[in-house]
Amino acid sequence: MSLHYARRRAVNSIALAASLLSACFGIFFLVWILKDVFRFGLPAMTVAFFTELPSPPGVEGGGLANAITGTVLITALATVIGVPAGILAGTYLSEYGRASRFASIVRFLCDILVSAPSIVVGVFVYALLVRPFGGFSAVAGAVALAIIMLPVVIRTAEEMLKLVPDSTREAALALGAPHWKVTVFVVYRGAMRGITTGVMLAVARVSGETAPLLFTSFNNAFWNFKPGEPTATLTVTIFNYAMGPYEDWHGKAWGAAFLITALVLIVTLTARFLTMRRVNGNE
Amino acid sequence: MSEKIVIKNLSFFYGKKQALKNVVFAVKAKEITALIGPSGCGKTTFLRCLNRMHDLYPGNRYEGEILLDGKNILDKGLDLIGLRSKVGMVFQKPTPFPMTVFENIAFGLKLNGITNRGEMIGRVEKALKDSALWDETKDRLFEPALSLSGGQQQRLCIARAVAVEPEVILMDEPCSALDPVATAKIEDLMMELKKNYTVIIVTHNMQQAARVSGTAGFFMLGEVIEFDSTHKIFTAPANKLTEDYVTGRFG
Amino acid sequence: MPISDGHKSGHAADAAFKGVSFFFAFAVMALLSAIIFVLIKESWLSIGKFGLGFLVSSTWDPVQGVFGALPAVWGTVVSSVIAIIIAVPISLGNAIFLTETAPKGIKGPIGAAIELLASIPSIIYGMWGLFVFAPFIAENVEPFMIERLGFIPLFRGAPLGVGMLPAGFILAIMIIPFISSVARDVFLMVPPILKESGYAVGATKWEVIWKVVIPFAKSGIMGAVILGLGRALGETMAVTFIIGNSQRISLELLNPGTSISAALANEFTEAVEDIYLSSLVELGLILFVITFVVLAAAKLMIARSSYRPYSGGAR
Repeated sequence: MSLHYARRRAVNSIALAASLLSACFGIFFLVWILKDVFRFGLPAMTVAFFTELPSPPGVEGGGLANAITGTVLITALATVIGVPAGILAGTYLSEYGRASRFASIVRFLCDILVSAPSIVVGVFVYALLVRPFGGFSAVAGAVALAIIMLPVVIRTAEEMLKLVPDSTREAALALGAPHWKVTVFVVYRGAMRGITTGVMLAVARVSGETAPLLFTSFNNAFWNFKPGEPTATLTVTIFNYAMGPYEDWHGKAWGAAFLITALVLIVTLTARFLTMRRVNGNE
Repeated sequence: MSEKIVIKNLSFFYGKKQALKNVVFAVKAKEITALIGPSGCGKTTFLRCLNRMHDLYPGNRYEGEILLDGKNILDKGLDLIGLRSKVGMVFQKPTPFPMTVFENIAFGLKLNGITNRGEMIGRVEKALKDSALWDETKDRLFEPALSLSGGQQQRLCIARAVAVEPEVILMDEPCSALDPVATAKIEDLMMELKKNYTVIIVTHNMQQAARVSGTAGFFMLGEVIEFDSTHKIFTAPANKLTEDYVTGRFG
Repeated sequence: MPISDGHKSGHAADAAFKGVSFFFAFAVMALLSAIIFVLIKESWLSIGKFGLGFLVSSTWDPVQGVFGALPAVWGTVVSSVIAIIIAVPISLGNAIFLTETAPKGIKGPIGAAIELLASIPSIIYGMWGLFVFAPFIAENVEPFMIERLGFIPLFRGAPLGVGMLPAGFILAIMIIPFISSVARDVFLMVPPILKESGYAVGATKWEVIWKVVIPFAKSGIMGAVILGLGRALGETMAVTFIIGNSQRISLELLNPGTSISAALANEFTEAVEDIYLSSLVELGLILFVITFVVLAAAKLMIARSSYRPYSGGAR
């Protein structure tokens, strides 16, 4: 009896220790990866890295200025396409669709699209925008990223709009405001902060995407600001350089990895901080 | 009759908020003690001190002593698992575990080291009979417990508590989610249980307290206003507050 | 009911706003249909030429123009299954730690750290895997594994650091945050009173978790696991870097293989012949269909677990 009891206690302690260990597992790799990204990425952070074009293959030096601007350009374009569309669709779900069958189907599809393989989106956009129009382009890349962003923005927008209580809507309507004005000037305002946070996270996430850009925006060794031309991005550059044979390329790839990781981490932490403050503020 | 539990100057705090103030009384063995009082008066808080359920959540603090058979159960190093197998509990809502009827009762038995299949079956049957549930469930022992009716589920929870043969059974408004017929069955069951167990019940239902208990305690704002025989509490309370409450003037 | 009804003023503007927002909600459905339509259309050539044989043929020969999906499908499934086997126990451990075991003060930081793991872009995992992790295990882990566990064929192969097993391992790290966070939410839905009932019978914390919390949360946990599987199946960049990119099927998991997404990432821009491109698109179609089905199943399971009424016949 007491032996049985001692065994139960031991099993309990072992299991709880194992749960602690499993929490450490993730953190161990997080730290390991971040440490290496910093260690190998920081030395690449030179002025030339930010200001110069890539040097020809095998020649040392140069920078990734074109890829940095390319990433900014394509991400910005994707945001312009994806965010308004996502917010409007989220508005429909929260303000009009609500519990309707149509709305539940859209929600369901969004939740699936969020985790759908991004490379397939690349293939889709390639068939839709690249081949028929004769070549890789920044726009095609932006559309691919916008498609990836869309379901995330829709669901966040809906969740945040739903947090605005119906009594607020009714109060505004009772003043005689038309429904669309109530939505735009009252409900949006109430949900602004949450939606902004969600959009930030979505933008950060797509800025780190590679797969959908491989065969849409492709790559470019030179400056490009024309939306109709192939455009270099940091992530595609990482892919090409890391797979390439030159030490200098590997260093540059780490530099690009450092930039992207730092951006994503800063945005994620900021967003988390903002949401946390909101929660605490309400208590 | 002997005193099973003696409470000496018990105070309890949820963080900084004091929920019980200097509770003092003694619970007799093999009797039903009812705790009554308005919502938020501390009676459930008190009940959960008796099996140290509050220890599950951080920031809670006890002061004073609770002596179970003369041993202070608020001692720091006390073995909570041992305590809880001596002091069983039945909750406000039926809480069958997501498993079969049989497994629900076997759960506690297995914890107590009973591995012999024959003994297990005997003990499960006895617990179900003791809880007046055997006739209704003997043919559905291996169906999910959640398929029973609410009243049956609650009796199953009582069976689960008695199966491990505790000394004390705590009941926290055990009938609040049940209809009158199921409630009557549980009350009959309580009368049976008091032959072998010390039962402490928290209830909102004054008639229930009057019907089943031998002793009653009236709680208000974390204090015990009056503690006496049920008969006295309901017919000739010493305190004006008690009288107002039992006659329904507030509550 | 929606408060949109019964307003006379600004009718036209209201209708327009509603129409526009409806259009974009509808666009999600249209988009999904368009993706499936375009993938089918573009792979029509390959579907016509290879038929169902595409799914079971293991020849992938761009020179001869003969293609079969088996090696890529095999690699996708095997690497994802490896990932699930590694990730599930660890994720459940995480969820248990975050909901039951962790002291209040460190819950937040640890939860945040695990979330950060999810925010690191896939390409970073791939690059780190190729430059750091692969050399490390090629040196320190794989030779040892072959020596000690080599009697099991699964643990044999070339100790290159890249291959099916390393790819599965990296995938596991990537999906742990997703499984953990869904599992944590599911655990949080277990009614406290039910856990208290477990403690009230004298169960230890672990006994309450194992016998009460996990059975209660079963269908939600299954949903979380399948969600993780869906994620792993579609993951591209990390796998492309570390799976070894070899169109062959091997039971020895240290050997290089390929996956659908890795094949697409590596070969798509090189595919000049129509049939080559069409076969690659068909791979994409297969991947999309598999992940769609898996994710839909996950979604349904998670939804079912959150609506399950607990108190049964009570009241």
